[in-house]
Amino acid sequence: MPRLVIDDREIEVPEGTKVIDAAGRLGIMIPRFCYHEALGAVGACRMCAVKFLQGPFKGVQMSCMVDAKDGMVVSTTDAEAVAFRKWVIEWLMKNHPHDCPVCDEGGHCLLQDETVSSDHSRRRFLGSKRTYRDQYLGPYVQHEMNRCIHCYRCSRFYREYAGYRDLGAMQIADKVYFGRFRDGRLESPFSGNLVDLCPTGVYTDKTSRFKVRRWDLERAPSVCIGCSLGCNTVAGAQFRAVLRIEARTNPDVNGHFICDAGRFGYSYTNGGAGFRQRPREPMAAGAGIGREGALERAFGALEEVARKYGPESVAALGSDRNSVETQCALKKMCAAKGYLPPVFFLDPAARRKTCEAVARLDERIAFSRSELESADFVIIAGADPLNEAAMSALALRQAFRKGGRIVVIDPRPVSMPFDFEHIPVVPEAIPRIFGMIVANSIPGEGGGLDANAGKFLRKLDRRSEDATLQSRIEDLAAGLAAAKRPAIVCGTGIVDETTPAFAADCALLLYRAGKRAGVFYVLPGANSYSSAVLSENDGRTFADILEAMEGGSVRALVVVENDLFRNFPDTRRLEEALARLELLIVIDYLPTGLENRASVFFPSSTAFETGSTFINQEGRAQFAHPVHAGGVPILGGSPEHVFRPDVPGGGQKPAWSILHGLETGLSGSGGISAEEIIASHPAFGAIAPLRYPVDGVRVIPVQSKEEFTSQSVSGGEPAPPRGLRLLLVDWMFGTGEISAYSDTLLESIPEPVLTMHSADAERAGLLDGQEVALRLEGGTVEVRLRVTEKMAEGVILLPRHQNLRWQKIRGFPALIDPERIAAL
Amino acid sequence: MWWIVGFVVLLIKVAVVLGVLFGFAAGMVLVERKLLGRLQIRYGPNRVGPFGLLQPVADGLKLLLKEDIVPKGADRIIFFFAPAVVALVPLLIAAVVPFSSDLKIGETRIPVLIADLNVGLLFFLAVASLSVYGVALGGWASNSKYSMLGSVRGAAQLISYELSLGLSLVPVVMLAGSFSLVDIVNAQAEYPFILVQPVSFLIFFISSMAESNRLPFDLPEAENELIGGFHTEYSGMRFALYFLGEYISMVVLGALVAVFFLGGWRGPVLPPLAWFLIKTMITPVFFIWTRATLPRVRYDQLMQLGWKILLPLCLVNIIATGGIALLVRS
Amino acid sequence: MNENESRLGRIMDGIGGIVDSYAVTLKHLFRKPITEQYPEQKKVLPERTRARIVLTRDPEGEERCVSCYLCEAVCPTDCISMEGAERGDGRRYALWFRINFARCIFCGLCEEACPTLAIQLTPDFEFSKYHVLDLVYEKEDLLIEGCGKNSEYNYYEHAGVAVGFDKGEHPGEAKPVDVKSNMP
Repeated sequence: MPRLVIDDREIEVPEGTKVIDAAGRLGIMIPRFCYHEALGAVGACRMCAVKFLQGPFKGVQMSCMVDAKDGMVVSTTDAEAVAFRKWVIEWLMKNHPHDCPVCDEGGHCLLQDETVSSDHSRRRFLGSKRTYRDQYLGPYVQHEMNRCIHCYRCSRFYREYAGYRDLGAMQIADKVYFGRFRDGRLESPFSGNLVDLCPTGVYTDKTSRFKVRRWDLERAPSVCIGCSLGCNTVAGAQFRAVLRIEARTNPDVNGHFICDAGRFGYSYTNGGAGFRQRPREPMAAGAGIGREGALERAFGALEEVARKYGPESVAALGSDRNSVETQCALKKMCAAKGYLPPVFFLDPAARRKTCEAVARLDERIAFSRSELESADFVIIAGADPLNEAAMSALALRQAFRKGGRIVVIDPRPVSMPFDFEHIPVVPEAIPRIFGMIVANSIPGEGGGLDANAGKFLRKLDRRSEDATLQSRIEDLAAGLAAAKRPAIVCGTGIVDETTPAFAADCALLLYRAGKRAGVFYVLPGANSYSSAVLSENDGRTFADILEAMEGGSVRALVVVENDLFRNFPDTRRLEEALARLELLIVIDYLPTGLENRASVFFPSSTAFETGSTFINQEGRAQFAHPVHAGGVPILGGSPEHVFRPDVPGGGQKPAWSILHGLETGLSGSGGISAEEIIASHPAFGAIAPLRYPVDGVRVIPVQSKEEFTSQSVSGGEPAPPRGLRLLLVDWMFGTGEISAYSDTLLESIPEPVLTMHSADAERAGLLDGQEVALRLEGGTVEVRLRVTEKMAEGVILLPRHQNLRWQKIRGFPALIDPERIAAL
Repeated sequence: MWWIVGFVVLLIKVAVVLGVLFGFAAGMVLVERKLLGRLQIRYGPNRVGPFGLLQPVADGLKLLLKEDIVPKGADRIIFFFAPAVVALVPLLIAAVVPFSSDLKIGETRIPVLIADLNVGLLFFLAVASLSVYGVALGGWASNSKYSMLGSVRGAAQLISYELSLGLSLVPVVMLAGSFSLVDIVNAQAEYPFILVQPVSFLIFFISSMAESNRLPFDLPEAENELIGGFHTEYSGMRFALYFLGEYISMVVLGALVAVFFLGGWRGPVLPPLAWFLIKTMITPVFFIWTRATLPRVRYDQLMQLGWKILLPLCLVNIIATGGIALLVRS
Repeated sequence: MNENESRLGRIMDGIGGIVDSYAVTLKHLFRKPITEQYPEQKKVLPERTRARIVLTRDPEGEERCVSCYLCEAVCPTDCISMEGAERGDGRRYALWFRINFARCIFCGLCEEACPTLAIQLTPDFEFSKYHVLDLVYEKEDLLIEGCGKNSEYNYYEHAGVAVGFDKGEHPGEAKPVDVKSNMP
């Protein structure tokens, strides 16, 4: 632990810490352009020069290139260092254009700050300025190369950190150019981070281009609800519209970065500008009705139904994008009024998988995303990290860069920005193969393990009938055996119901075998964790409610922020069941279409408009602070010349507040208290009242109640299914519940394709790129076919795509006779 | 029969005096603004009518049509009546002012004043001291800190200067040998008292300036410290009453100065009424001139002047006058 | 004696001062008033008088305003608001630009902050309105046809972004780098 003195203050830092970071710990911000905590040092910009007064060497040195050593005495304010930095700025500004007024970085530009602080104002250099031509880099990132100061942050992030190869440095000497070989969309789904990283305005946010200055934004720490990872963001709003999302540094959750879907998929909250209009005023039967009137009518109708048919005839449905507050308020309302307890899942299998995963997480084996980054052997079982939780792919890339070995056991043609081994098998076979790798990595019969672990180990298959597979497994098992920090990434989407618990058991087994092993689940939605916790002892899902609706025992339904028609696989049945209801109350902020069917519709606020807690897949409760008050954005034209006391389109309220109104019949700002949230479930006890709103508290138990309880997966190769198994899959763009309503993402949404193994396609006589008709039980889906060899045989993959009416499959597990796929 | 004629004549006299006084007050508004303007090298009002002559009409109309605002928490009754006191006092004083020598219609001599009281001077002093009620109560009833401060200042100031005002007239009475204002004028048949009593005149003049709250003694309504002082909260007609009272009292004080020191209606060539009017106007014009010239005094200076200079001076003057009168008569 | 003399002197001084001031005001009475009879006699105000704000155009007749938000940021009364947008050719401009003259205090900081000389204060101060909302001026009301105080400056000529001028065409710029050649 070297001790050094920086600007007359002593500090002790861990071995290997750079001097620039040591200064940062003292709160001294040494100017820098190229150095970045996540990207490391290259010493390209020469801006972080400091003077070393004593120690191993003396003189002006770059603080980002020097490791802190014992006895160093460093001065950041030494005249020589200051003059050095002043010259650096002057020559960096030599070619910088005079375009700050038309540059979106202006106002939060590192180069601008450093230039002003070093007092440079007149260009003394008489030569001409270097210029570059700019490139089209897709719909998100604007390129303006003249502004470049050659810090290499972009290419280091893009190529080294994120692992994509289409953007990099070209040319030599002072003509170095950062861009693509030719104009075109950036391939990386993490390209938005270039905007945050660039210390000046070479890369700027195209979605908010020219719309706003940073100083005008109302900014607040927020949490992305695009997937279950809960990446931390800073959202900025102006003119009643959210205009910019930036990554917020949280070493445990998302590091310094976020994915493009999270960064640019914000415009659903502004809902408008030629896109599907966000509903902003309470409605009854599709017609506007005041807030008070809506509450009166809904409350009266609920009371009426409860009086006529008993309170059990009222059911409630939440979703994964409800905040914890909303879910607890919903639960509280149902309990207080005697309604059926709320359900949060549509699909019973999804509920069981999520509940399994949540029940089996405990502090010993729950890996956060940052722990994933330092794993040295990762087994990905039934997960497609890039598509289901993009930032986990970036974490895996870091594990790969550190020499980690990654194996994917998944039927899908998984693609990630690094090399990994892919074993494409049908979902039923995933646990077996993954169990074999784990079993083979533990020598013998597991001597030294406790009884339970040993029993579990003995139940695992060790040998496969397939010789090539067997040798591959043995090779992988050898790798796992050598690993110290193995991780298991387990999905909850396409896998079998037993897989999540099995993954936890395997992680536990490895943990018992002396490794720092952990499991990292990927859950279906932003707040699935909380949904699972709250429906822990209640096996019902919307499927049961639907049956009760059809049977006539449920007469009223309260839907809270659930895009039913998108999520439910049988549109016709849903329509019929909804038609039988006497009362449908819908609370939502998205134009799902339900608002027009609802007896009473209440607009709710988005996470940007109200403070709300979300619990991510590793059980971390995070609070998204309100950014702005909401209302119809003032964009695209000047606001009208009127005096008015209210906010136009400001009829929304937090869903929990509306639910409180439905419970009590009282309007007003009442809602749910921290105590009520904590009382909703023992797991929420971690959200102690004084710490609400919580940020970063993990609501997982220290030690799970269950160990090694998953079903054994022995018994040889599973019999191949008769037909093709249809798997509904998620994509990064185009399948999200929220992103479907963000017009900023429209340009990234690829065409929906049905994916099939080449052998299956050959058997069915289908060709790649063909338009095919998929005859499902509820109707025909026409879609283009993609044929690939990089996936498992016996499955076909259909995305839950927003431009595809896939809601015709009648129930979730679907087996398709190959006959039913025909070329058009 | 004669008493009816007498009553009618009295009524006519009252009406004429009232009308003339109101007219003068209105005229004074214009004269003050015009004169003040010229003294400050500007034009003064010149927009309403030719040379701004209709300005008083416009002002009057404006004040009549303005909303009458009563502040929350004000003592409504006192608030309503206080301005009337201020306007009433100078009108009452005007009752004892002789405007001219007796009017001769045939054989009958009609005195050109409403009431020739033999205690006219005392009546003037008595009534004049009532105006402190208008100021003190008006400010107090407004329920406003500024008004309150203004009225406290006003009460202190008016009471302080009342002494000098009264005492400065003692030599006049001594010289005239009567409290009747007609007798005082008649006593100045040979020379106006200003020639023998310049000190009295000066003290009376300064005190009357203070009594009418005019610069440099306008502390009760100091605009820049108290935003109008005791009448801060007044608006519309009620404010107009304060305004009217101030200007009438200016004219009436002018008339009294003329009566006490300048020989009243007496003068060569011109008819007596004309002389009286000219002499009456001297004081208001000088008031206005003063307003254009002198800044407001500080409160301690005000009190010092009243109690430590004017009051002793008065007493010395009375003794001296008495001594001289004794010497001369004996 | 001295003291008495000085006291007497002081009293005489005081009286003299008062009399002098009366004399001064009396003299003023006979001077010609210096008042300017405003609506009839209008004074030509200096060019840099700070009153009604306009948005000017560059010598090519394009709007000078690039919607950089600096005037809005510097405005002490927050009376300026705007929304930037991009024109087809990449030029940044204000989609709407609003000044609430009911709030404006004509301090001129916006003009000082403007990097493109777009926003300028003019000597025209006579634009009172009967309704306060009529004092909210939109871009159509603010934009004038001329260049205002500077008839030569064209921001985009110096900006270095490819709007109106191609890369390398601005004064003092080198030809764009050919990234696919390593020739020096």
